[in-house]
Amino acid sequence: MGRYIVRRLLWTVLVVVLVTLLTFVIFFVLPKGDPATRFAGKSPTPELIQEVKESLGLDKSVPEQYGLFLKRLVTGDEYGWPGLGKSFQNKQPVRPELIQRAQVTITLIIGGALLWLAIGIPVGVISALRRGSVLDRVSMGTALFFVSAPVFWLGLLSLYVFWKQLGWLPGTGYVSFGASPGTWFSHMLLPWMVLALLFAAIYARVVRGNMIDVMTEDYIRTARAKGLSERRVVMKHELRTGITPVITLLAIDLGVLVGGTIVTETVFNLQGLGNWLLIAAQNNDLPVTLAVTVLVAAAVSILSLVADILYAVLDPRVRYQ
Amino acid sequence: MRPRKMGTWALFGALVLAGSLGLAACGGDDSGDSDTNGGDNGAAAAKGGIYRVGTTDFGFNGGFDPSGEYLGWAWDLYSNLLTRQLTGYRHTEGAAGVELVPDVAESIPEPTDNGTTWTFTLKKGVMFGPPVNREVTSKDYVTAFERIGTESVVAQYGFYYSDIVGMKEFKEGTSKTISGITTPDDHTIVFKTTKPIGDFGYRLAMPATGPMPAEVTDCFTKAGEYGRYVISSGPYMIKGSDKLDATSCKTMKPISGFNPTKQLSMVRNPNYDAATDSTEQREALPDGFEFIINTNQKDIFDKIEAGEYEDSVDAVPPDVARRYSTDDALKDRLKSFTDDSTNYIYMNLGEAPFDDVNVRKAVNFVMDKDALRRAWGGPLYGEIGTHIAPPTLYPGSTEFDGYDPYASENNAGDLAKAQEAMKASAYDTDKDGSCDAGSCSGVLFLNRSIDPFVKMSPVIRESLAKIGIKVQVRELPTGPAYETSGNVSNRIQIGANARWGKDYPDASTFMVLFDGRNILATGNSNYALTGMTAAQAKEFKVPYPKGGVPTVDADIDTCAAAIGDERAACWVALDKKLMEEVVPWVPYMFGKNTDLLGPAVTKWDFDQFSGEAAYAHVAVDPSKQK
Amino acid sequence: MTGHIRPFPPDDPRGGPHAHPCTHEPGRTALTTAPVTGGEEPIGIEPATVPGVQARTPWQLFLMRFRRDRLAMASLVFIGLLVVLAFAAPLIAGISGHDPNQLFRQMTDDFGLPKGPNGSFWFGADASGRDVLVRIAYGTRVSLIVGVVATSVAVVIGVTLGLIAGYRGGILDTLISRTADIVLSLPLLLFAIGIVTACGSSREGCFGGAVKPGLMLVIIVIALFSWPYVAKIVRGAVLSLREREFVEASRSVGAGDLTIMFREILPNLISVIIVYASLLVPQNILFEAYLSFLGLGVPDSTPSWGRMISDASGIFDVAWWLMLFPGIFLLLTVLAFNLLGDGLRDALDPKADR
Repeated sequence: MGRYIVRRLLWTVLVVVLVTLLTFVIFFVLPKGDPATRFAGKSPTPELIQEVKESLGLDKSVPEQYGLFLKRLVTGDEYGWPGLGKSFQNKQPVRPELIQRAQVTITLIIGGALLWLAIGIPVGVISALRRGSVLDRVSMGTALFFVSAPVFWLGLLSLYVFWKQLGWLPGTGYVSFGASPGTWFSHMLLPWMVLALLFAAIYARVVRGNMIDVMTEDYIRTARAKGLSERRVVMKHELRTGITPVITLLAIDLGVLVGGTIVTETVFNLQGLGNWLLIAAQNNDLPVTLAVTVLVAAAVSILSLVADILYAVLDPRVRYQ
Repeated sequence: MRPRKMGTWALFGALVLAGSLGLAACGGDDSGDSDTNGGDNGAAAAKGGIYRVGTTDFGFNGGFDPSGEYLGWAWDLYSNLLTRQLTGYRHTEGAAGVELVPDVAESIPEPTDNGTTWTFTLKKGVMFGPPVNREVTSKDYVTAFERIGTESVVAQYGFYYSDIVGMKEFKEGTSKTISGITTPDDHTIVFKTTKPIGDFGYRLAMPATGPMPAEVTDCFTKAGEYGRYVISSGPYMIKGSDKLDATSCKTMKPISGFNPTKQLSMVRNPNYDAATDSTEQREALPDGFEFIINTNQKDIFDKIEAGEYEDSVDAVPPDVARRYSTDDALKDRLKSFTDDSTNYIYMNLGEAPFDDVNVRKAVNFVMDKDALRRAWGGPLYGEIGTHIAPPTLYPGSTEFDGYDPYASENNAGDLAKAQEAMKASAYDTDKDGSCDAGSCSGVLFLNRSIDPFVKMSPVIRESLAKIGIKVQVRELPTGPAYETSGNVSNRIQIGANARWGKDYPDASTFMVLFDGRNILATGNSNYALTGMTAAQAKEFKVPYPKGGVPTVDADIDTCAAAIGDERAACWVALDKKLMEEVVPWVPYMFGKNTDLLGPAVTKWDFDQFSGEAAYAHVAVDPSKQK
Repeated sequence: MTGHIRPFPPDDPRGGPHAHPCTHEPGRTALTTAPVTGGEEPIGIEPATVPGVQARTPWQLFLMRFRRDRLAMASLVFIGLLVVLAFAAPLIAGISGHDPNQLFRQMTDDFGLPKGPNGSFWFGADASGRDVLVRIAYGTRVSLIVGVVATSVAVVIGVTLGLIAGYRGGILDTLISRTADIVLSLPLLLFAIGIVTACGSSREGCFGGAVKPGLMLVIIVIALFSWPYVAKIVRGAVLSLREREFVEASRSVGAGDLTIMFREILPNLISVIIVYASLLVPQNILFEAYLSFLGLGVPDSTPSWGRMISDASGIFDVAWWLMLFPGIFLLLTVLAFNLLGDGLRDALDPKADR
C-alpha cells in the first residue's frame, strides 16, 4: 500500500508537470502574437514592449520561461511557497488571491456536496427499495430532468424567479462569512442549490443502481438464506455496499470541481477559482492561468488517489477477495 | 463593462464578462448643467459624509502605480483626490473642464528658447500626507520623471516624455540624472525639450508626473509596486497611510485601505491646505470615499437606487437607464456626458477590397450607425460619430456643427449613395453597386466577444452584405482581440474591436493613429495602416496595393508643431481630410459616460479630463444614506 | 489503470457525468472491469444462449424490449421531430418571413433592449431584433450536428485506442491509458479557451491553417475531451474478452491481431458502444451549449441555443423570453437523448432493470 501511494504521488507530480507544460504550449506556442503588447498600454513603442517583456519575463525563450516557472514553483519566490509570481493583469502577487478565491470555490463545493449527499443518497436508497413504484419513477424522472438541465440555464432561471420576481433571495456575488454570516448564507444558497441539484440527481441514480446491483449479489442472497432479518440485510449489507462507492465518487467529484465550477461561478458572479481562470485564460494572464491549473491538476490527481484508497478500504467485495 | 475613457486601452483593463460597457459623454438632453443636484430636493451641498462608489472591478492595468497606470478612472482618482501635478484641470464638464490650469505650479508659463524651455514656479505649503509629512518640492517632481525613465517600472505612457533632453541617456543608464530637468531651488523646476512641443503643458497634468517622495518610491522599482503605497499630495489619502512605517523599505507593508480585489478607502489628508488649492479645482466636500468591488452589477445599481451607494464606475445598464429616463421623479439622477472617445470600425488600407477608397466610402454610407449605437444602449450612450476626434477636442470650433459627409436618414445608412460609391470602384465589375470581385467574400472581420461589442456583429454583417461584402466573423476576448488587430501579419481586413479616448484634450492624441511611422509589427494601433510604405509592407510580409496607401504623415508633422488657433485649425482640416479623402474608419459613435446617482448625492459634476465623475466636486447628505 | 471513468466534470461542459451509461456504477466497477453485458454472453454472438428466450434473434429481442419502453419511444419520436425541425428551419423562416439573421428595428427599443413575444414574433426577439423562434429552429442544427458528429469522432478514436490498449497491452496500453488519464485531469474549459483563442487570433486559423474557428473547431474540441471515456470502457471490456475461448479459437487458426481486434472482439462490443455513444450525445450537446455560453462556440451568424442563453444573461430580468425558450429546447433535447440512451441500455442489457 505504501509503495502504491508513493507511486501514485509521483504520478501526480508528473501530471502537474505535463498539464502545465501543455498550458504553456497552448497559451504561448500555439497563438501567433506577442502577449507583451497586451500589457503595454494603448499605444506602445517598441522600447515599451521590450520593457514589458523584461518585467514579465517574456523576453526569455519559452523553454527557459517554463524552467523558471517550475523552479519557482518548487523553491518558492518572494511571495512565499509555492512560487506563483505576479499577475500580468493587476500586478499583484498571485498566491494571496489564489488562497482567497480558493476559499470561495471550496465554500461552494462543500456546501453543495453536503446538500447533494443529503438529497441524493436517501432518494437513491428509497428508489431502490421501492423499485418500480410511483415514488421510484417520479424520483428518477426528476433526477433525469436535473441531469439534463444546463447549469447556467437553471442558474439564470432561479435568479429570475427567486431574486427578481419573488425577491426571496439577494442576487449574485460573494459576501465573505466574516463580513456577515447571514448575507453569506443567503448569497450562497442559490449556487449551492443549483450545483447540488445536478449532483443529487447523479448520485441518486448511482446509489439506486448500486443498491439494485448489490441486492442481486450472491452474498446478499446468502445472508437472507441464513435467516438474517430483512432490516439487517438492508442496513448492514445492502446499504453499506451500495453507498460506499459514493464516497469514492465524492472524492473524485470534489477534485474535479475545484476547477470545474466555472459556469456556476460565472452565472452567480462568485469570485472563485473558475471565474478567475476564465478571465485569466481569456486575457493571457499566464501566471494566474498556470497557478489555477497547478491547483486543479493536483486536486484532481490527489483526490482520485484518495478515492482509490477509500475504495480498497471500504468496499467489502474488494476485501472479500 | 466599464466605461472608461482611455479608449481601447481603458476597456482593455476592464476585461471580461458580459456587462455593459461604459462610456461617457455628454450630450443630448440635459448637457451643460454642471453643478447638478443629485437629490431631488436640491439640498445645499455641505461637507461631510462618505461617498461610496460600487464597481465590478477596479480594472487597473498598472497596479495603481501612478508611473505606469493608464486607466482613465485611475487618473480620475489621482487628479481629483490623491496627487497634485504641476498643471491640472477644473474637473468639470464641457470646455471649461479641458482647459489647462495651474495646480501646484503658480502659473502656466510661456515656453522660451523657441518653445523648448519651460520654467515652473511651485506654490509653497503643498504638503505630502502621512507618513512623509513634509513639503512637496521641485525634487519630488524630478523623482517622478526618474521613475518614468526607469525601465523596470514600465511607464506605459512614458513616450510622452522621451523628448525631454537627457531622458534617453538616463534610460540607457549613461547618465545618473536627466540633464533636461533642473531644480534651481525647491520651488522652481525647468524642463528642456529637444524640440518644441506645443502640448507639453498638458503632458505635465498626467498623473505619472505627480510628486513622489523618493524616500518611499525608491523602495519600489518594479512595475505596479508603488500602487499599494501611493503617498498623497492632495486632499485625500489612502486610509491607513498614517500607519505606514516608512523608516525603511523592509518595514513598509501595503497601506491597509487599498485591497486591489476588494476595496479602496480614502480619508482626508490632514496635511492638505486648501489655501494652496482652488475650490474651482477641488472642493473636497465628503470626509472620505469608498470604492467597493461588488461583482454583481445588478446589485450595484439596486444599492444606488436604495441609497446604499452614491455612484458607480460601471456604465448604467440599458435596462436601468430605460427605467430612470422614463420616470420624471428619477430622471435627474441619471447622468450622461460625452467622454471624448470615438468608437470606430477600421478598414485595412492595404487589403482588398478596402484598398479602394470608393469601397471605403461605400462602407461609410451604408453603415447603420443608429443600430450600432443601439447595441450600446442608444442615445444615452453616445452621439452618432461623424468624424475622427470628438468635438470637445476642437474647443471653440464650429467647423463640425452639422458636419457629416456620409449623412443618412436616421443614421440608418444610405444604400443608394453607397451603391453609387461602389460603382466607382474596381471591385464592382458589373457596376451594379454591389461588390462582386472575389475579394468581396470571406472578408475577415474582427470583433470582441464581449457585450456590447458582440451585438454589433450582426449589424455590421448585414450592412456590408447590402453592398456585396460578405464577412467571416472572428470574435475574441478583449485582450486577444487587441493583440490580434495589433499584429499586422494577421491581415485583419475590417474590425470593430476598437475604441479610442483622449489622453489629454488635444486632437494629436487621436491623430497618432494615422501616423505611418508608428506602424509596428506587433502592438500596432494604426489598425487601418494609414501611411504604410511599400518597404514596411515588405518588412511585415503583407501585400502592398498597386495604388499605394494614402499617407497623412506630413499633415501630422505640420499640425504637431503648430500652436494656438493655427494648431486647432490644422487638426480640423486633417480630420476632414481623413474623413473625405483617406477614409480609413467608420467612426460610428462618440462615447458617453453614464452615471446613476444615489438619493444622498447633493452635488455632482462630470470630469471632462478623465471622462468620469468629478470626485473633487461631489457632496453627500449623510442623513439620506443607508 | 487507475480505473476511474470520469464522466464529465459536472458543472462543466459535460454536465452530468454519471448520467452516463450503465447508471449503476457510474464510474468504476461496471464500466471498467466488466463489459456492460454483465457477464452474459455478449449480444450478437451466440443468441441461443440468452436464457429464457426462444429462438429470437438478439435484434428482435432488442426491438421487443425497446418498444415496450414508452419513454424511450417517446424520446425517439421527439428526436425525430427535432431532426425534422432542423431540416425544416428554412421553412419556418419562410412562413414567418423572418430570416434567422435578419434584423428587425421595430423589435428593439431606443435602449437596444429587445421586445417580447407578439403575433408575428411568437418567441419574441433578441437584442439585435432577430426572431427568436426562427433562430431556435436553426439552432437545432448546431446542437444535433455537434452532438452526433463530435460523439462519432470521439467514439471512433476511443474505440480504436481502447481496442489497441486492451488487446495489445504493454507499452501501448500504458501510453494510451496514461494519456487518457491526463486528458481527464485537464481543466477542460481552460484548454478549450486556449485552443479557441489561439485558432481565432490569426487569419489562417491554427495547427498550420488546418482548423478555423467555427463549428469544426467546436467539434474537434469536444471530441478531444470525450474520447478517453470511450477508450477506457472499451479497454476494460476488451481485457475481459481477449482471454475468451472464441478469441483463442481464432488465434489458433492463425488470425492476425487486426482481424481478431476488429472482426472478433469489436462485434462483441457493439452494444456497449451504442449505449455509451447514445449517452455521450446529450453530454456533448450540453458541452456545446456551455462553450457557446462562455463565448467559445460557433460565431453568432450560426444560431446556437447556448449562445442565445448567453445573450440573455445580462438582461434576463427584462427579457425572460430570450432565456426561457432556448433553454427549454436545450433541456428537452438533452432529456430526450438521455431517455433514449437509458432505453437502449435497458433493451440491450438483459440484466438491467427499469
